[in-house]
Amino acid sequence: MEETKKTGGVTRREALGTSAKGLAGAMFVAGFGKELDVAGWLFGKDAVSKPAYDPTKHMYTFLFDISKCIGCGSCVRACERENNVPPHHFRTWIERYRVFGEDRVLVDSPNGGHDGFEPDPSGEVARKAFFVPKICNHCEFTPCVQLCPVGASYRTPDGVVLVDVKRCIGCGYCVQACPYGSRFLNPDGHVASKCTMCYHRITKGMRPTCVEMCPTGARRWGDLKKPGDPVAEILATRETHVLKPELLTKPHCFYLGMYKEVR
Amino acid sequence: MEHSKHIWRAALILLFLGTGFVGVRHFLIPKSFGQAGHYRYDSIFEYMAQEPNHGSRESCRKCHEEKFAETVKGRHAPVQCEVCHAPVSAHAKDDKKIADMPTNPNHKLCALCHQKLDSRPKGFPQVDLRRHLAGGGRTVAATIPDAACFECHSAHEPSPLRGER
Repeated sequence: MEETKKTGGVTRREALGTSAKGLAGAMFVAGFGKELDVAGWLFGKDAVSKPAYDPTKHMYTFLFDISKCIGCGSCVRACERENNVPPHHFRTWIERYRVFGEDRVLVDSPNGGHDGFEPDPSGEVARKAFFVPKICNHCEFTPCVQLCPVGASYRTPDGVVLVDVKRCIGCGYCVQACPYGSRFLNPDGHVASKCTMCYHRITKGMRPTCVEMCPTGARRWGDLKKPGDPVAEILATRETHVLKPELLTKPHCFYLGMYKEVR
Repeated sequence: MEHSKHIWRAALILLFLGTGFVGVRHFLIPKSFGQAGHYRYDSIFEYMAQEPNHGSRESCRKCHEEKFAETVKGRHAPVQCEVCHAPVSAHAKDDKKIADMPTNPNHKLCALCHQKLDSRPKGFPQVDLRRHLAGGGRTVAATIPDAACFECHSAHEPSPLRGER
């Protein structure tokens, strides 16, 4: 009778082994549970940190003054450096309009204005000529959000159109749908990419990079819900225009000194 | 109830499918989806978490007060340091220098803003560099040295010529 220590069909060795395994498991979960985010995976708990910023208290808008733009491309280069925009893709760009004779309009934007503009080698003098900064219009009724099949495109409560890069499947519908050509498929990750209005900056109390780096004040940006905001004041009192108003997308990107040739 | 087992079987299958649907849906749809619209609301916090690269003039001022003072009194006062240099994030981290700040003493940098173009606003200072180097008029300089502009002008305060200060 060597099985005298047996109690309830479990030997002491087995009991000790089981409890050691259980303890090891508990320690593993306690130690690595946070990294593995088991609870988050099971119960959908989010792992992102949420700063104290209330998007419902703001409504942002761009305001561009065509008469001040010198076409230097500082905004394009700054945007590229701030947001790691791949070469030859643009979240913002500058177009040069030159009007000759009756109604001949030449529009160019070499490398989006990233490397500035060269004088016309022909030496032909335009009747009128100007630069137009272009960017995502952050439309209120935007087609790019309406047709996204996976709910990856959206407009935040503070009026910024963004792409959820984790949900985007890279189908490119929104790139085709945008009437302003402000979206592209990022070769890095093959997801839709666009101007974020520097959401990481504006939610920290900074201005968008292109606005901050514009040397002439041609680019301005404001908060329509902020009392006494200078941009809101201009929109309320002066003549401003939007691009393609006939599409009824309600852009939040306004222009001062607009010309009829601008498309 | 001779056929009650058929009903029970159907009910069980429906219950199983329903539970499966709710369970799969729970895991496939992100928690914050639909919180503020037809999108995953947590995505906006992921955008917020991105670190800014540009710090603007005030971040440069922390270490370069003398350059700041020189620049803000001149005609380049509205031009941010990072326009001609590079984002501060490539140069300093937590107010400590991590790499040299690039400088670009080339006339092509100045030409981005000051090359004469018919589409720039009329009052903006612009030069036809070849004519400017030859002293204006109809003569044209044969070559443009790389540092042409900086032989006479200071980038930080360009209006008075170097000799006149």
